Amino acid sequence: MPSVTIDGQTFEFEGRPGLLQFCLQHGLEVPHFCYHPAMSAPANCRQCLVDVGTPEMDRETRQPRLDEAGNPVIRFFPKLQTSCTMEITDGMVVKSHRSSEAVERAQKDNLELLLINHPLDCPICDQAGHCPLQIQAYKYGPEGSRFEFEKVNKPKHIPLGPQVMLDGERCINCTRCVRFTTEISESHQLTIIERGVRNYPMTPPGVTFDEPYSMNVIDICPVGALTSRDSRFKARIWEMSRTASVTTGGANGNNCYYWVKDNQIMKVTPRDNPSVNEYWLPDEERLDYHRFNDDRPEGPAIGKIKTDWNAAYDAAASLLKDADASRVVFMGSAYATVEDNYLLMKLAASLGADAPTYIPHIEEGHGDDWLRTDDRSPNREGCERLGMMPAGDSLAARLNAGEVDVLYVLEEDPVAAGLATTEQLANVRVILHAYNTTNQTMPAADVFLPAATVVETVGTFVNHKGHAQRVRPAKAIRGMNRTLMMEVGKSRADLHGTPFDRWHDESNLVDCQPGWVSLPAVAIRLGHAMDYRGPKYIMHEIADSIDAFDGATYAAMGEQGVRLEDVGAAV
Amino acid sequence: MADFIKNPVVELPERNPAPSFPASELVFTDAEKAQIAEYVERYPTADGAIMRALWLAQEKFGYLPPDVIKLAAEEVGMPYAKAYGVATFYTQYYKKKMGAHVLDVCTCFSCQICGGYDMLHYLENKLGIHKGETTEDGQFSIQEVECLGACGSAPMLQVTNGSYVHNLTTDKVDALIDALREGKSWPFESVTLPQDEDDLGGNRRTDVTATETYQTPPASETIA
Repeated sequence: MPSVTIDGQTFEFEGRPGLLQFCLQHGLEVPHFCYHPAMSAPANCRQCLVDVGTPEMDRETRQPRLDEAGNPVIRFFPKLQTSCTMEITDGMVVKSHRSSEAVERAQKDNLELLLINHPLDCPICDQAGHCPLQIQAYKYGPEGSRFEFEKVNKPKHIPLGPQVMLDGERCINCTRCVRFTTEISESHQLTIIERGVRNYPMTPPGVTFDEPYSMNVIDICPVGALTSRDSRFKARIWEMSRTASVTTGGANGNNCYYWVKDNQIMKVTPRDNPSVNEYWLPDEERLDYHRFNDDRPEGPAIGKIKTDWNAAYDAAASLLKDADASRVVFMGSAYATVEDNYLLMKLAASLGADAPTYIPHIEEGHGDDWLRTDDRSPNREGCERLGMMPAGDSLAARLNAGEVDVLYVLEEDPVAAGLATTEQLANVRVILHAYNTTNQTMPAADVFLPAATVVETVGTFVNHKGHAQRVRPAKAIRGMNRTLMMEVGKSRADLHGTPFDRWHDESNLVDCQPGWVSLPAVAIRLGHAMDYRGPKYIMHEIADSIDAFDGATYAAMGEQGVRLEDVGAAV
Repeated sequence: MADFIKNPVVELPERNPAPSFPASELVFTDAEKAQIAEYVERYPTADGAIMRALWLAQEKFGYLPPDVIKLAAEEVGMPYAKAYGVATFYTQYYKKKMGAHVLDVCTCFSCQICGGYDMLHYLENKLGIHKGETTEDGQFSIQEVECLGACGSAPMLQVTNGSYVHNLTTDKVDALIDALREGKSWPFESVTLPQDEDDLGGNRRTDVTATETYQTPPASETIA
C-alpha cells in the first residue's frame, strides 16, 4: 500500500487523499482558515503551508533514486506548498511546523500579515474564545506586529440580512461564506467586492442575504466578521455549556448543539453528522429556541389552581379510574419522544382504551429536499413505527356526539391543531401534558402536567428517513438534575461540567417532568407498574418488542444516531 | 486628504441604489446579445465571458451601475453577485459616471518610487479635483490605479482605458491636458529598450509613429 511520511511518521493511505484533510484525520494539527472539508479549496489564506518532497525518479529505470545509505532521494518543492490543495502521492515526505523551521516561520509571518489590518477587538468580539484566528495567533503567531500605520477602516456592523451581521475589518477574506452561497446553498447572495486591502464580503446592491440557510456562514467564518444578529453580545462562549442533541423544528432531525447559560438556551448551532445534516442547520431551527425559555408553566395545576406533583398525578389517575375505558381518548404526539409515546400506548392498553393517535404537522411547500421538511414535527416517523395512527376528524365527531369523557393529551395541542375547540371540550375532562403556557388546549385542562421539552429530557426521535437519534438534556429542571438521570458524566472532558456551567444555578429552573417520569407516576396509581430505571431501559424494551425498532438501543445510536434498517429493524 | 495611507477608510457602496437607467433603456439589442453569446462560446464556462460582456456594456452605457452589471450577468448566465465582484475588482470598469477623459495614474510600486504620487498630486492640483472625482465640465476624471504593467517607463498614466502616457513629467502632464482639451487624442507610443535604439535602429514597429525610449533617470530629474 502506498505510504506518506509526515514529520517522520509513516502512514499508509488509499486513493488520492488531500494532504490537509489527511493530517487532520490523523490528529496532526495543521493551522488553516480557508479550507473547509465540504467546499472547494481556494488556498487563499496561505496558513496551511508545509514543506513537501517526492522521491526522485530515475528517468530510465523509472525507479526511485537511492542515496548511499539506500534511502530514496527526496526532492523537495522549491517553495512551501499549501497542504489543502496538495494531493498525497506514494513516498511523499511532508514536513509541517513540527519538524521544519521554515514552515514554522512561514506560518508566523503569514499570521502577521493576516493581522495587519485586523482590529484585534477580541474583548468585544463574539467569536473570541472559539475563534480560529485568535487560537492560531496564540499558537503559531508572532509576539507582536511590526506594522505601525493606521489600520484600514472597513464598514462595520452592517446587517447583510435579517440574521447575519458583517464586520468588514475582522474579515481575512478566506471566502468560506462566499463559497457556501455558491457551492452549498447556491443562493449566490455573497461576493468579495473591491480588491487589495479594500476587499470584504458583501451582497451586491439590491440583494439581501436572506436565504433560509444564511446563518451557516456564521459558524464557518474563521474570524468574527460574520456574527449572529440574534445571539450576539448575549453570552460569551466560555459562559455556556453545550449539549449534543437534535433540533425539533422539522422531521430531518438535524444534529445540533444547544448552548446553555443560567439554564436558558442561548443559541443553537449545527453538529456534524454526515448521514443527516453534514455541517449545516437551517436558520429557522437555530432561532426556534425561545420556546424553551419563555412561556413555561409554573408547575402542575388542577383546574386553574397550582398544586404539587403528587396531587396532580392523583387527580389524573382518579379521572382515568372513574371513566369508562371506551370513553377515554389518548392522544400521543409527534413532538414527544418514542419512549414517552410508547409509555402512553402501554397506559392506554392497560386501561383497555383505544390506542393513542398522533396529530401530523404537515406544512405543504415548506420543505426544500435538503434540511427543511414539509413535516414540522420531529418524530412522526417514530410514532408510525410504534404503530400509532394519525388522528382524524373522528375526534370532533365523537366529542360532538358526547362519546368522550376523558381526553388524555401527551405534549400536544389539539385545539391549536383544529381537532377540537375549547367549547367542545367543556364537558370533557382533559388531562394535558404541555410544554408552554401558550398551549391553546390549556384553558380546557382539568389536570395540567408541565412537560419537559427536548432540551430537558432523554429520549429518541426518528427522522423522516428512519434515522433514530437520541436527545440529551441540555438544561436542568426543578427536582431533577442530569447526574440523577445517569445520562451525563460529571467529568470536565465531556464539555458539560465546566466551572462556569450553570447546572448548579437555581435560576430559571422550570417545574416540569419528562413523560417517562410522569406517565409511570400516573400508571402506578392505577395499579399498573411501569418500573423502568430510565429511558434507556424503555428503549431496550421497545427494541426487543417492536420489529420496527429492532436493534435501536442507546448504545447503537450513540452520538450520530443510527439508520434503523441498518441495525435490522423492519421498515 | 484623498490619500488612502493617511486616511485608510473603505466606504460601503450604496446598498439599495435607485435605478440608473429606465427599464426601457436597460436592454441589449439583438446584435449585442448575439455578440455576448459568441463571447460565451469562447470560454469553457459561461462565467469566463463576463469580462467581455461588462466591457461591451460599459461601451454601450458609458459606465457600470449595479443594474447594468446585473443585466450583463443575466445575459451571460452567471450569478449577479459574482459579476458584481468582478466589476468592483477592476478599476478599468467604471462603477460611476466618469468624465470624457479618465486619467488612471499608477501609484503602484515602481511608479510610486519614480514619482507616481507627485504626478497624481500635480494632476489633482491642476484640475482642481481629487482622485475619484470628475471636473465640473465633465471633461476629466482622475483615478489612482494599481500596476498597469509599464514599470519600465514609470511614472505613467493611462487615458480612458486607452493609450499609455509614459515617463511622466509635469510638462508632459500639461501637454497631455492641453491636447485632450483641444480634442486631440494621445497617440499610442511604442516604448523600446535603450539597447534597441542603438543596435537595432530604434523602434522596431513600423505601424506607429510615436516612439519613446525607456529611461531610468533619478527621480529628482523626472519630477520637474
